[in-house]
Amino acid sequence: MCGIAGFTLSYGLPAEERRARFGGRLRRMAASLRHRGPDDQSALLLDGIALGHARLSIVDLAGGAQPMRDPDTGVAVVFNGEIFNYLELREQLRSRHAFRTRSDTEVLLACYLHRGIDCVIDFIGQFAFAIYDPRIRTLWLARDRAGILPLHYTETPEGFAFASEAKALFAGGWRTPALDPRGVKQTLQLWSPVVPRTVFEGVSQLSPGSVARWSDGRLATWRYWDPDLGVEPRVGLEAAQAEEELGALLEDAVRLRLRADVPVAAYLSGGLDSSLLCSIAQSQLGGTLATFSVGFAERGFDERAFQDEVAGRLATRHRSVLVSSSEIGELLPAVVRHAEQILLRSAPAPLLRLSGLVRDCDTKVVLTGEGSDEIFLGYDLYRETRVRQFCARSPASKSRPALLRRLYPYLPMSQQGHELLQQFFAIGLDDPQDPVLSHRPRWAASGRILRFLSRSFAERAAEEDPVASVLASLPARVRGWKPLARAQYLEMQTLLAGYLLSAQGDRMLMGNSVEGRFPFLDHRLIEFAAALPERLKLRGLAEKWILRRYAARWLPQTILERPKYPYRAPIASALIGPEAPAWAAELLSREAARQVGVFEEVKVEKLVAKLSARTTAVSEADSQALTAVATTQLLAHQMLPSASVPQREVDAVRLEAA
Amino acid sequence: MNLRARIRGFIVDSFFVDDFSDDDSFLRKSIIDSLGMLELIAFLEEEFGIKITDAELVPENLDSLARVCAFVEKKRQLGTAA
Repeated sequence: MCGIAGFTLSYGLPAEERRARFGGRLRRMAASLRHRGPDDQSALLLDGIALGHARLSIVDLAGGAQPMRDPDTGVAVVFNGEIFNYLELREQLRSRHAFRTRSDTEVLLACYLHRGIDCVIDFIGQFAFAIYDPRIRTLWLARDRAGILPLHYTETPEGFAFASEAKALFAGGWRTPALDPRGVKQTLQLWSPVVPRTVFEGVSQLSPGSVARWSDGRLATWRYWDPDLGVEPRVGLEAAQAEEELGALLEDAVRLRLRADVPVAAYLSGGLDSSLLCSIAQSQLGGTLATFSVGFAERGFDERAFQDEVAGRLATRHRSVLVSSSEIGELLPAVVRHAEQILLRSAPAPLLRLSGLVRDCDTKVVLTGEGSDEIFLGYDLYRETRVRQFCARSPASKSRPALLRRLYPYLPMSQQGHELLQQFFAIGLDDPQDPVLSHRPRWAASGRILRFLSRSFAERAAEEDPVASVLASLPARVRGWKPLARAQYLEMQTLLAGYLLSAQGDRMLMGNSVEGRFPFLDHRLIEFAAALPERLKLRGLAEKWILRRYAARWLPQTILERPKYPYRAPIASALIGPEAPAWAAELLSREAARQVGVFEEVKVEKLVAKLSARTTAVSEADSQALTAVATTQLLAHQMLPSASVPQREVDAVRLEAA
Repeated sequence: MNLRARIRGFIVDSFFVDDFSDDDSFLRKSIIDSLGMLELIAFLEEEFGIKITDAELVPENLDSLARVCAFVEKKRQLGTAA
């Protein structure tokens, strides 16, 4: 994977003037993305456009240099990511296009030359790219369907600038970093800002599955792909047939993602999804797979017993890293620098440590299991939605809500009377047509963090109602879908793209120059799963039913029947108490809270005091509030002062003005 | 400080809520989350020297300030009477 950046500039400038006026700016942008592409950084100044690239070499190590330009038309491209079916596309174009390299970047260029920007729908992959077409003086941007790779942009009076990460826009001087009150408020309640908004003022992100066109000083964006989860289920589809088709698609998705000129390894969490991917990959690789896992010293979070069992059975070369609470505290500043987001959970931190281990083992690419829960209905949220609907049909029933307890055997709330639990899940049940019914309890819970906002910051965001913003962002057709499909769509748009694939995904991988590949997010698999009858996914309350059935070919009973275990990491013990790092005491102080001004200093002080004196388990509400406050404080301290890139890294960027 | 003010003070301090009415449902209005209910129950037991049984963990007893106050009053009277 890589990092990309660029901006528009005025036409007709002599090359020397372009170099003098824009060279430094472009090199600083490319240098700020060095972690995404440590193998090479280069910059190209053309008439009307500047393009920068930081390269992590994975395919065609010698020939894939970027920015790449077509000699005949002058069309230029910078590309981050992978088009996994590039060999097939190359074959189709071979008679019409004289390829000069073996690289996937040249295939992208050729596809554009032959089909225009619509070529994006032929790609199976994960990508963010920019294409400049001098013939029509147009800059195109595109992002993959699920939103695996990031792409940010900003419009200013000086021009239009884009980059993989916001930090490059700051390094290029396109924006002075400042928090966007609406983006902050959305993130605190929804776990992510509502696209195209980010937590930074003036910085937007391209929505997943979208294309942007910049020409004549105007921006237009549209979605070229949006999952149709309301599609009519295939009638008469037998479980055996569905299982066959699922297997064929998933095995092909893995096969395509093992394509690389460097070894591909895999993350192994010990759960169903990653264990299944590792089994398939190990079989396709003929026994050379390396696997990587995170273990925790705190027992409630640790899954090493299951990881070791799977790794042992598959005979992978297995490595794991043990992460302690104090390490999470030490990692958090780097986590926030890479994530460029406010977090409600600390779970990304161990993944930054894990990608460090991968990199230390000279590995650049890993398969990872994200997406399965979203497409095959694996989350508790879906089971909960089903139970809540069931309860809503008979509000007076005392026995129906008892089902909720079965959903959460691992949470302390099952120690309570289920009638109290019922009250919590009754949120929103008054209106069963509510398109965001499934997410109301979660958003009501995280919305408690908004109580911590200082009066002045809350006033600046007074116009913003995060739930209303999500509702406004939903395409009209989603309202007509079944409740589970609506829940699924919301989950994919908010938590998956906005948090799991970004703050907890790409950013934690790229922080150590490692590329993640996500077989479950192959769009053919997403579309296949969407057209399955609901009963094949969530059967009663048995989640991912069809996937489990298929997985039985590969995995032992102990893994198949293992209760679902949410991946989480400790936070309170990481930031408060004897093991906490020095920055935590400093940034969580009353004075620091007052300086940043987002949160009410007295409440921050009370929260820290409460958690310092704790004798029992820390509640989810307090954990989330603490993580949000700490990561906001870090964001303000690290990113808002003008970002500076070390001069020797700027000097390392090769610059060409043509 | 009277009973109502003590319980209200605990809720304001523990759950960082500014303003809520005596009849607001703690759970439906997201004033307190489910683990927070455990904190509240522990506080009531310690502060007022009562013991709350599993059967008493129902919304009618615990899901608003008014209900909690009434419930605690009743428990204390029963305790004194016994």
